[in-house]
Amino acid sequence: MADLEIRNLHVRTEEREILRGVDLSVSRGEIHALMGPNGSGKSTLANTLLGHPAYEITEGSIFFAGQDITEAEPHERARAGLFLAFQYPVAIPGVSVANFLRMAINAQSEEPIAMKEFRQRLERAVELLDVERTFTSRHLNEGFSGGEKKRAEILQLAVLRPTLAVLDETDSGLDIDALRTVAEGVDRLHAEHGLGVLIITHYQRILHYVTPHFVHVMLDGRIVLEGGVELVERLEREGYDQIRQEVGAGA
Amino acid sequence: MPEDRARPKPGTSREATLNHALAGAGAADGRSLEELREAALAFYEAAEPPVWRRSGFWTTSLRDLDLASLEPRHADPQAGIPAVVAEAIGERPRGGLLVQRGATVVHCQLDEGLAAAGVVLCPLEQAAREHPELFARYYLRSLTYDRDKLEAANAALWSGGAFLYVPDGVRVEHPFQLAYTIDAGQSAQYAHTLAIGGAGAEFRLQEYDVAGPIEGQALHAGAFELYLEDGARCRLAHYSDWGPGEVFDVSKAVVSVGRDAYCHWLPALLGGHLTRQHLELAVREPGGDMAFRGLFFTEGTEHLDLFGVDLHETGPSGGDVHWRGAATGHSRASFEGLIQIAPGAQQTHTYLQIHSMMLSPEAKIDAIPSVLVAADDVSASHGGTVGELDETAIFYMQSRGLTRPQAVRVIIEGFFEPLIGELEDEALEELVRERIAGKLQAAEDDIRAYAASR
Ligand SMILES: Nc1ncnc2c1ncn2[C@@H]1O[C@H](COP(=O)(O)OP(=O)(O)OP(=O)(O)O)[C@@H](O)[C@H]1O
Ligand SMILES: [Mg+2]
Repeated sequence: MADLEIRNLHVRTEEREILRGVDLSVSRGEIHALMGPNGSGKSTLANTLLGHPAYEITEGSIFFAGQDITEAEPHERARAGLFLAFQYPVAIPGVSVANFLRMAINAQSEEPIAMKEFRQRLERAVELLDVERTFTSRHLNEGFSGGEKKRAEILQLAVLRPTLAVLDETDSGLDIDALRTVAEGVDRLHAEHGLGVLIITHYQRILHYVTPHFVHVMLDGRIVLEGGVELVERLEREGYDQIRQEVGAGA
Repeated sequence: MPEDRARPKPGTSREATLNHALAGAGAADGRSLEELREAALAFYEAAEPPVWRRSGFWTTSLRDLDLASLEPRHADPQAGIPAVVAEAIGERPRGGLLVQRGATVVHCQLDEGLAAAGVVLCPLEQAAREHPELFARYYLRSLTYDRDKLEAANAALWSGGAFLYVPDGVRVEHPFQLAYTIDAGQSAQYAHTLAIGGAGAEFRLQEYDVAGPIEGQALHAGAFELYLEDGARCRLAHYSDWGPGEVFDVSKAVVSVGRDAYCHWLPALLGGHLTRQHLELAVREPGGDMAFRGLFFTEGTEHLDLFGVDLHETGPSGGDVHWRGAATGHSRASFEGLIQIAPGAQQTHTYLQIHSMMLSPEAKIDAIPSVLVAADDVSASHGGTVGELDETAIFYMQSRGLTRPQAVRVIIEGFFEPLIGELEDEALEELVRERIAGKLQAAEDDIRAYAASR
């Protein structure tokens, strides 16, 4: 069984079915890309994986690390090793990045982390993401620019060390240099710790730095096409309409 | 705005008077303590228990308080410091400590070096005898006894009490701590603090009003006056937590800021069956400046009624009022914040903000800012927010491994943190944080139910 297995997942919110039977498997050490037009359900899938209360699973199941987590609380999923870098990270007023991360680590482990070890981890993440040292004493996402928010997400990923991370459009809002830094950071976490990654994106560029082993295309709440990295180029060339017609014709 | 709106009008309704700034109209006029007590007693005996109303929808009354059954309780003066006080004040360096239990001062200690420098810390009763000039100059200079029955009761019946005098130019590093505690039902505590900062004095003052569980009703009718002379600076904090018992707290506190003086005042109101407080911070001389902070958190069926006044009698002067409050359970809290700028207080700049956070569908917080301005070259404005728990932020934190209660705690601490951090006193900050955390824990089910209902 893969580390993350999504089986026939149907999700609805506010009386509307958004995911209509998604099957997807991701294992440690693998990099997957999930692409699809606006509104096709990518963020819904990401949020559902972490147990967002607004999304109701009406059918199907999610397994993670051998456990059925379909009904698990969000914090239990995080503790099991799942991580979501949010498309729209929210501000947590009054809490510094560093304090928040220490709380999160302590929430995820039995013993509180030693101050020294925490500082080292934070230090390494700060270097990896190439941010100012003072960045971690700022209140989390409060007054952050779009790019700073995205960096802060990956900084958290680097400090928290989950086994599997979903990156929801982490690349959007980053300038070219920042994109490279962030993407290379993710790639290193993958190479050094065997992090499994599901990258949700609209653009090729991030995939130049973190090369996916598998590419999935979502349309109207279903994965309609799967393949290797060559699929990305095809999407660039043809657009979603062409694919929609093909799969529509095939169905 | 017409000038007469800035001053209490004789003959207006009782409620308007009860919700009006004292405006420095103290009772002291050369009468002796005995004469003032007598006059206050006469008013007390004639007056009905007060009812505070505002805007037609908010009422605080003492209808449920059986005043006749309550009596001042004298404690053994050697009894020592009760545990509930010891826990609140902590183990820490301090300039001095005075503790009153019921009607009796049970502990008074002042740093020897400070005593040698002329600092006085003693029961107010003792100050009336041993420092008659200071006492006569300041006692009831800004407080009255004839606005309501409880105020009169305090002026007539106070015992023990606290007196602090920091002479001109004396700077004190560690805080002075005062504590009032009640440990018996059917008791009334008439507490009176008089504190004076001489010209250029610098010090910190903390008053703790605390009680553990009590059987039956109890009353704390408190009076607090602080006078800061030219250039004096004080960081003042009140911490009040009357515990789960049926304690009524009806108190008035006035801080008087002199020429070029400064006061940072932060009352933290963190528990009490029914609390009605009138808190007034007044700049009386040009160049005075103040920061008036405050926080409250009500739970269960608590009722909290606060009237905070930012008063400017002269200009140029500065003010900055910032309050934050949260409510759970079926509790009710009201904060009326009044900016009052007297005629001639030109070049006054002040701002009032009130932020509230509702944590239960049955809880209610009313934040009512008002501005009375009788000068034209001034700026006075107000703002504020009414918030609920941000579910997006909660999910964000949960997705990082925090449980829902942990996430809620982070949000509430973050909500209060801008003010807690301003205490600039680690021990007191920790006390406030712990108390808030305790309240959140007690309200966990309530908060969860609220989330589910939305
Ligand atoms: N909480 C919600 N309440 C109501 N509708 C929602 C909610 N979340 C998602 N939707 C709807 O579900 C559909 C899928 O949204 P989703 O955010 O998953 O798309 P997406 O693929 O991530 O799009 P984008 O590329 O623009 O980020 C949209 O029509 C959206 O409006
Ligand atoms: Mg999206």
